[in-house]
Amino acid sequence: MAAAGPQRRTELLRGVLDLCLLAVMAEGPAYGYEMTKRLRDRGLAIVGEGSIYPLLGRLERDGLVETYRAASDGGPPRKYYRPSSAGRLALALGVSEWRAARDAVDAVLAPVKTEVAS
Amino acid sequence: MSDFVEQCRREWKRLGVPDPVAEEMAADLATDLGEAAAEGMSAEALLGSSVFDPRSFAASWAAERGVIPVPPTRGRARRRPLVLVGFTVLAAITLVVAAALLVTGEPRLTVVASRTTHARVLPPPAGPPVPTGPSQTVLHTSASAPVEWILLIIALVALGFAAWLWSNWSSDSRPPSAGAAA
Repeated sequence: MAAAGPQRRTELLRGVLDLCLLAVMAEGPAYGYEMTKRLRDRGLAIVGEGSIYPLLGRLERDGLVETYRAASDGGPPRKYYRPSSAGRLALALGVSEWRAARDAVDAVLAPVKTEVAS
Repeated sequence: MSDFVEQCRREWKRLGVPDPVAEEMAADLATDLGEAAAEGMSAEALLGSSVFDPRSFAASWAAERGVIPVPPTRGRARRRPLVLVGFTVLAAITLVVAAALLVTGEPRLTVVASRTTHARVLPPPAGPPVPTGPSQTVLHTSASAPVEWILLIIALVALGFAAWLWSNWSSDSRPPSAGAAA
């Protein structure tokens, strides 16, 4: 049976959320909540189990991000993330893979009519 | 939301996350949740469904960050007891056999280093029999170590090792499975 909407969205997001995080932090160093806001500004809301914190931990463990602490607009010190050189390379490779996968899926799904009979 | 952070903090302590790392994660989480709330964003919008399961969320974050061992997969968790069960049963059987041999005393098993010499067997000379010594001499040089005792010691050591493995396995499988966040 096909996954329901939110579940499918969670599964789709699961495979690319690391790329999305690397992409938004490549725009400028960011702390956790700031990354969530950048994602939401582009219409990508955290759904299902898709919290970014474990993923940020994995990126840090794998050496794909660098971190440092700094105050945020006079607030308490925050942990900022930015892609490392390995992270930038992983982002470039991942984006290529994503585009290839997206184009292939589009080629399969493009002819499908999306009108749903009521 | 401070309750959520507190539950995470307790879980990290239970899992053995080093205090400085746990404090750092808790502080980051609390600050982010506070800022989100101040801007009208719900905790669920920040954490997804993890907001309803702080223990899994905390375990997942710590495991992904590499500060605790990643929980074993279900396949490994199943295979390991099978190997352990086999090892434990083998050790127990060895113990029973060794005990039975010790109690009954039969058969008498010894590790024997023997050296045998054979005297030449000559046909008896004609005429009246003359007393002679044994026609064949067998010498046993016995440096024996009872096999029963060796088996008993091996079985006891193996059972002790099995008990240690069991206790390790049960403590490994105790934490809840880390949620597959993101």
